[in-house]
Amino acid sequence: MDNQSNMEQVFQKLGDLKQFFVFGQKIVPVFQKIIDFMHDIVPLLENVNNSIHDSTSKIPKAASQINNVTNATEVATSEILDIVDSMSMDMARIKNELMDLRNGFFNQRVALERFSEEFKPLNGTYENFKSSLSIDELESRVVSLDSIIRKIENDSSNITISLQVQDITAQQLASVNHLIQSVQKRLASLLFDLGKQTDAVLPGLTSSEEIDARSFNEHAEYDRTGKHQALVDTLINNSQKTSQEEIDKLFTK
Amino acid sequence: MGLKFLVVDDSVTMRRIVANSLKSIGYDSFVEAGDGREAISKLDSDGSINFVITDWNMPEVTGLELVKAIRSHNKINNIPILMVTTRGLKEDILEALQAKVNNYIVKPFTPQVLKEKIDQILASV
Repeated sequence: MDNQSNMEQVFQKLGDLKQFFVFGQKIVPVFQKIIDFMHDIVPLLENVNNSIHDSTSKIPKAASQINNVTNATEVATSEILDIVDSMSMDMARIKNELMDLRNGFFNQRVALERFSEEFKPLNGTYENFKSSLSIDELESRVVSLDSIIRKIENDSSNITISLQVQDITAQQLASVNHLIQSVQKRLASLLFDLGKQTDAVLPGLTSSEEIDARSFNEHAEYDRTGKHQALVDTLINNSQKTSQEEIDKLFTK
Repeated sequence: MGLKFLVVDDSVTMRRIVANSLKSIGYDSFVEAGDGREAISKLDSDGSINFVITDWNMPEVTGLELVKAIRSHNKINNIPILMVTTRGLKEDILEALQAKVNNYIVKPFTPQVLKEKIDQILASV
């Protein structure tokens, strides 16, 4: 009886073993596929790793190029401002000269009128004489020149206003640079986790080159519609009508 | 006594534009600082400065921190401050008002707006 029971157990174990082999036959190709997949994926991961390494090492150069753009536009803006300053000084000089001319015409007219008063017999020829001197015409030309100069002054003032775009774009570029530096830090951290040393991927980025996030406004925009200034004026007018406590309340909302 | 301005901005271009604008509206006495820290140092050393025009976004010490430092200073806490900045959001303006700036200009600005704001400040202090 015991022998029969033992044999049954053996057959049961053999059955289990057979099932295991059947399962093994099914699972082996899956394992093979996993091994093949790993075989394929490892070089791919290595490629990804190298790409991250490569991209990370290029980031300082990109950041530096953005800084170069900012510096170049600042130098160019400064040169334009030099020219505008020089033009303004020339305009001021021309305005003074024109003022002298207008005063000169005025004095000539006064002198002529005195002369005609003193020499009454000249009456009649006086108007011809005055007309031949073309004082009125010359004076109107001076007035016309004066208005052209005022227009040039207005234009140079507009150039100066437009040059504020340099500061605004510099802040936008600083914002982009800050973002790039954040990406670089993340990638460097990833590379460190992947086993690459970060000293090779952080060339040129020293703590002094890191952009202080408080030094730029990421929402800076060149907008000449005056909508922001209108909002400022409204808020300031309201604040003048209300107490400091109410301003604090507005702010905390 | 005439006005002597302290123009505070980390952008050389903007300092120049503000200075030119001041000249164009009849003010030619001013000194410059590149950030809030330098501004505080100039205010400490030059007692003749009686008007501050400051940017907000600057490294080291920002314009807002400068305003707070001036307002908590026992000698210069009443000096008029005009903020000239790119920050035009409502919460920014309210934050500056809370810090007690006298007036506020959003860049880009014209010399006429600068004059208008200086006149308003002078009329109110």
